[in-house]
Amino acid sequence: MAPTYAPVRDAPERATASGDRFALDRALLDSLADLALDGAKRGGARYADIRLGETLQEYAQAEDDRLEHFDERMSRGFGLRVLLDGSWGFYGARRLDPASIREGVQRALDNARAMRVIQPRAIELEQLPAHEAEWIMPMGVDPLSVSSREKSDLLLSICATARDNGADFCSASLSIAREERLFANSLGARIRQTRTRVHPSFTATAVDRAADRMASRESLVPARGAGWEYVTSARLLEEAATAGREARAKLTAKPVTAGDYDLVIDPTNLWLTIHETVGHSTELDRVLGWEANFAGTSFIKPAMLGNLRFGSELMTIVADRSQPGALATIGYDDDGAPAASAEFNIVEKGVLKNFQMALGQAHHIGLSASNGCAYADDPTSFPIQRMPNISLAPNPEKCTLDDLVTGVENGVYVVGAGSWSIDQQRDNFQFGGQLFYEIKNGRLGEMLRDVAYQGRTIPFWNSLDGLGDASTYHLDGTFTCGKAEPVQVAPVSHGSPPARFRNVRVLNTSPGA
Amino acid sequence: MLLSSDDAKAISEKIIAGSSADACVVKIDGGEDNSLRFARGGATTNITTSKARLRISSHIGGRVGAVTTTRLDDDALNAARARSEEIARMLPVDPDYVAPLGPQTYDASARYDEDASGFRLDALAAQAARVIAEGVRQGVDTFGCATGARRYSALATSNGLFAFERWSEIDLSATARNKTDTWSGWAGAHEFISARLDADSIARRACAKAAHDAEPVDLEPGDYTVILEPAAVAELAFWVMSAMDARAADEGRSFYARAGGGTKIGEKLFDEKLTIRVDPADPLAPEGGVGWEGVPHRARAFIDKGVVSALYRSRAWAQKTNAEAIPFAANFVVEGGDASLDDMIRSVKRGVLVTRFWYENMVDRKSLLLTGLTRDGNFLIENGRVSAPVRNMRFNQRLGELFGNIVALGKTERTWRAAGGGGAAAAPPMLAEKFHFSSKSSGV
Repeated sequence: MAPTYAPVRDAPERATASGDRFALDRALLDSLADLALDGAKRGGARYADIRLGETLQEYAQAEDDRLEHFDERMSRGFGLRVLLDGSWGFYGARRLDPASIREGVQRALDNARAMRVIQPRAIELEQLPAHEAEWIMPMGVDPLSVSSREKSDLLLSICATARDNGADFCSASLSIAREERLFANSLGARIRQTRTRVHPSFTATAVDRAADRMASRESLVPARGAGWEYVTSARLLEEAATAGREARAKLTAKPVTAGDYDLVIDPTNLWLTIHETVGHSTELDRVLGWEANFAGTSFIKPAMLGNLRFGSELMTIVADRSQPGALATIGYDDDGAPAASAEFNIVEKGVLKNFQMALGQAHHIGLSASNGCAYADDPTSFPIQRMPNISLAPNPEKCTLDDLVTGVENGVYVVGAGSWSIDQQRDNFQFGGQLFYEIKNGRLGEMLRDVAYQGRTIPFWNSLDGLGDASTYHLDGTFTCGKAEPVQVAPVSHGSPPARFRNVRVLNTSPGA
Repeated sequence: MLLSSDDAKAISEKIIAGSSADACVVKIDGGEDNSLRFARGGATTNITTSKARLRISSHIGGRVGAVTTTRLDDDALNAARARSEEIARMLPVDPDYVAPLGPQTYDASARYDEDASGFRLDALAAQAARVIAEGVRQGVDTFGCATGARRYSALATSNGLFAFERWSEIDLSATARNKTDTWSGWAGAHEFISARLDADSIARRACAKAAHDAEPVDLEPGDYTVILEPAAVAELAFWVMSAMDARAADEGRSFYARAGGGTKIGEKLFDEKLTIRVDPADPLAPEGGVGWEGVPHRARAFIDKGVVSALYRSRAWAQKTNAEAIPFAANFVVEGGDASLDDMIRSVKRGVLVTRFWYENMVDRKSLLLTGLTRDGNFLIENGRVSAPVRNMRFNQRLGELFGNIVALGKTERTWRAAGGGGAAAAPPMLAEKFHFSSKSSGV
């Protein structure tokens, strides 16, 4: 299928605060992109694209009463992808100069030629967009402009607060990342984008040396695509105090009795279950087997599209790249496809409706265009299929957390993400959590410990019989979802209301159980 | 971007000479990576990348600010140095502050292959072609990844330390799936010296494991005798090793903490057949000479005949506890025994042969309770022979109990990369009792 050229010119979103701008030298990046794409064309490439840019990161970590790290990191570079005689070739370097670009063109073309011995079928591409646009993530206060002292004081205060409230130890960290990218392709696309994300986090730990026990309670504050205003409004000290008390309480909580329970799962836990069971299983590259050697395949086959009963009628899973504050929110993906193409239902009223796709995948299931799910974690990384924000839609009918609990005779309320694991086809899973409370006769009861739940993806989602409404919705997520060889990490958000699942197997994970 | 020792030293000295901090540490690392992935007999993605990054840590009044940059021009380095000093001045004083190390003596580690020609994409494609051809021969679909890299790391301090190491890495892993998509096999290897990688052997093993058309057997969850192949043993040993932090043990936050206080150093926690050691001179999985914070790696056992003999200890915690600083090890060797894999299989009346594990995660750090699943080659053993493929299963296993129930060990061999850290490991096949499978998995 031949690429098509359909130029689109979009108005840039308005910058609203310092840091909300594309700061790199536009003329330099444009000239380097031209040099690369012209060179690739002259070398015979049928298609080429390039990502150039810079990533700024900050990582600070405090342990108890001391600051362990305060690091600023800057990396620049480019990654050129060429399609030559039906094979991809890719070269990336952490340099932004003409000589490196020229070397990159030759090496990328050489790499494409090297693939001929194992390329029995020419790689085909679907329709390709060619937008000219600029997208800047709206943000309040640029987190990179805030002083290191303010950040380190915040982390040390979190640790002190947790320890003052029952924790023996506390570790607190702050991660900030800003990506600035120019994407250009041989069809004329030229897209500039900037986005920022922040992740404040901590772990409070209580120890009982005599009983040889320990318990931890991790922060429930999620990572977000946002500025410093998110960090300051997250009530971290308040949560640290609560976490300190809860870590201490976990030491003496009642051990769960293993068995089958009805679970009411809080969004702070359910986001990871959505990520692992739905997010990864509906990635088309996995369905096609392209991740078979590492991340794994999927229990879903292409023929199941449109007819797989994934879950109960309450289950609608939405994919999008436009949710404010979400980690995968952006104007265009790393194939240059607009966010609008990444607005779709993956599961609708329990039925599988769509896969996630990047360039070169859609034609395998008879479609003419991908749906905006490409991401490269660095300009020097090959863009692959990655999740947009993937969320469980809330119940359109009124339903509160209390309503969900009221419907449970013998169950467990699960809060916060803990240990997790799922098989390579995204079927058998086991999830822990941060906090667990028994539910007896429709009421929340005592705190429980040593809880993990196991299940299989399809039966689990079909056991969904209660769902909170929009007022209970919460957005969570991660900075670091891993996939591909070499491994790339991607930020992604998942929103959901609390949800109720019937007859889920619960383990007791304590040594004596 | 490949810098020589002289290049790295010149850059470091320039930064240190311009530093106005009390002390300064420069770390430079980088290299060139080539990698290709293939699936269903064709290439999917490939890369060549050239990278370098430089980290400047400025120490001022017991505070440390750090800046990392990938720009190595003078203006960028001067700006990074100034910024690291600016950050340091704004930070609170570290009560556990330690000054940078002075000159050290490092053990040599043979991890570099001068023959770089084997790392380009054409050579890697030739390796992938062998896997694909073997898949055609055995009637299975093949998937895999081949990588080659040359890397270096330099460390310099204003106290007079300069260290430079380089190493090469080449690895190949192959997954094969039968045509009905109901069974899979896997094999892989990671080497520092390219000539040691046997692509044909990897291809044969992966494809042979997948070439089963028999319906896999379902087992009920429970405790089983298992034979774990070396890659599976290395995966589990990685978790045992990664938990060996002295501070966590001293503070009661670890499997290695003794009830009531103190650590379990000197205690026998595992079967006496278990020895795990780290050694820059080991021929199979040599650790680098230069450890974290510049502390030299020395040949030592962390677990010696089942006894905990050492724990990792940062310089700050070593200073505070008046003990030796021991760097975290990325590479390790699990010592083997004299049983062959065939001997082990013959000795098992009913058990499971496990090729490798997947998606392990620690459920409880205090008891080293690990969960995860078998993957790509799980077989039933009955009456001394492999009788059928058996569906994958989830395990929930306390590692102290597993490594306390070793029946036999085979010959140690280099494995694919160890879990998580991406380091190099060598391990033997292991026969063990009472391995706990907690649920079934239909995942292939």
